[in-house]
Amino acid sequence: MIEFLAATIRIATPLALAALGGILSERAGVFAVGLEGMMLAGAFAATVGAWTTGAAGVGIVLALLGGAAIGLAVAFVAVRFRADNMVTGLAVNILSLGLTSYLMRVLSGGAQPVSMHLSPLAPWPIPILSDIPALGPLLFAHPPLTYLTVLGCLGLTLFLGRTQIGLTLRATGENPEAVFAAGANPLMMRMLAVIACGAIAGLGGAVLSLQQVGTFTDGMTSGRGYLALAALIVGRWTPWGAAAACLVFGAAEAFELRLQGFGAPVSSYVIQMAPYLIALAVLAGMGRSSKLPAAIGQALQRDH
Amino acid sequence: MSDAAPSLSFATFLQGRRIRLTPGGLFGRICVALLLSMVCAAVLIGLSGHNPFAAFAAIAQGAMGSEHQIGASLNRCTPYLLAGVGVALCFRAGVINIGAEGQIAIGGAGAAAAAFAFADAPPIVAVVAALLGGALAGAAWAGIATAIHLGRRVHEVLATLLLNFVALLLVQQLLAGPLGQFGAGFLQSPLMPRSAWLPRLAGFDAHPGFLIAILAAAAFSFVLWRTPFGFALRVAGSSRLAGAYAGFSLARLTWGAMLIAGALAGLAGGIEVLGVHRRLIEGFSLGFGFKAVTVALLGAIEPLAVTPAALFIGLLESGSLAMQRQIGVPSALITVIEGLTMLFVLAATAGRK
Repeated sequence: MIEFLAATIRIATPLALAALGGILSERAGVFAVGLEGMMLAGAFAATVGAWTTGAAGVGIVLALLGGAAIGLAVAFVAVRFRADNMVTGLAVNILSLGLTSYLMRVLSGGAQPVSMHLSPLAPWPIPILSDIPALGPLLFAHPPLTYLTVLGCLGLTLFLGRTQIGLTLRATGENPEAVFAAGANPLMMRMLAVIACGAIAGLGGAVLSLQQVGTFTDGMTSGRGYLALAALIVGRWTPWGAAAACLVFGAAEAFELRLQGFGAPVSSYVIQMAPYLIALAVLAGMGRSSKLPAAIGQALQRDH
Repeated sequence: MSDAAPSLSFATFLQGRRIRLTPGGLFGRICVALLLSMVCAAVLIGLSGHNPFAAFAAIAQGAMGSEHQIGASLNRCTPYLLAGVGVALCFRAGVINIGAEGQIAIGGAGAAAAAFAFADAPPIVAVVAALLGGALAGAAWAGIATAIHLGRRVHEVLATLLLNFVALLLVQQLLAGPLGQFGAGFLQSPLMPRSAWLPRLAGFDAHPGFLIAILAAAAFSFVLWRTPFGFALRVAGSSRLAGAYAGFSLARLTWGAMLIAGALAGLAGGIEVLGVHRRLIEGFSLGFGFKAVTVALLGAIEPLAVTPAALFIGLLESGSLAMQRQIGVPSALITVIEGLTMLFVLAATAGRK
């Protein structure tokens, strides 16, 4: 049971970070379909950084930058040039997949991807708390980026709810004209939000490559960015809600992994569908009450 | 997603066409976008220490160097063109259908199931039944997404996207069960019955799928410009309000566009299974649906561009392995070019469709 819950948390962490980034983007009024590409770029940059310098910190900084670079591309094309958000997201996902695979091979100087193996980030047990039986190892003995994810939920909740700039960001997603009338720049706000989304989602990618797998493989995010997108919608654009949705998706996947081990009669393919079906069911259940930011996906004029 | 204003009279219709073909207009913008993505690709090739022109020459040679290679290239273009036409139709109607990926996979499974069911039928009957099976399966899968979208107000991108993952898993489940070849070691079906194989043109490796795809592209252009349905699509696509004001049922237009797109994507999956692999293989269509979106992006802006767009991507991919083999530039470069092309085309044409 403890193992199952630990696996749930492990699987949910990269999703939750990406979802946090996506909340920033969508709350500012830009659909976050590009999360998959941002995560992948982050996972790649983190691996390259940590592998070439031997310092995980460099990897983490590069993950932020790599994700932000993809965010910058989205910001320019979808916000500055006012292209369709969804298709732009899809385009950067394809670009990121191609670019990371291409660079993996260029780095090795041949047709084979370069092999970069790292030892995954070690857990940082919190003194005293981690000694609590059962709960301690489950909640207080995680690698650093997992704690950062929890802090991120807290920080983003405070940022969106309690700060001036967070308020402006939310207003940009609901009513950009009002933001403009109030003297702020909604266009710049959106671009910054999307770039920040990229950086945070890139960190989510780094969780995968640096903290969990210890290397980068082609397309290693394999749809997690899309799941994070579903999670933030299921969580109604709130950090804690999105994190809870990620835990549910993580539990479904952890359940599937354990069933495989037991050779259960239910096919693993059917169980793997669970996160997607849950997301669809919740979306369908929310129906009209989905509370999408009012101005999401709407283009802004350049002179705003 | 349509002309600046719906073509309300024949004069504006003509004018619209002329503007779109002038260099500096949309056509020119698309060309500039393509050029920019090729320049970026050349820079990337240069960074890897190779000569970009040699790499492009190797792609051209690999894609069109012999009859055999031309045939393989045409086969490669076929699913992108077929599915892309459907997605472009949806784009035109203002419906963003990202579901071709799943519809193609389900279509392949539908075609395989029909082929096995009609194993003893004469070849023509078997082929037609199998292709119909693929188209119906694809349309049904698109129908599920449409029902969720319209019935429950779930954004069509999310509905189609999430169903893609379900579709791929469903095909795996089918291959692990009723459609699978027992003891094959990986997920694939037995070889299709010979009666359901698509013939190959003598001398070429091409199957007739490309002709079907070209016909679909021509039909797309005709439907869009010459039929009441196409007119309604264009009006509703450029402005939902105008469409509703004109009395068009937006729900029926969405159903129409999505079912056609699903059927075309399913057909693409069926042709790939019956014409290329001659069995259903796990992941046989991985990435096809997203390439269809690339093709459709150009096609929605200018229907005449669907076919060259599909040829462009199909030829690039088909020649990419030769480039990797001869010059040493990784073939993943093609995916980069696809992503860049989409981005540049989006940036160059946004708000000017």
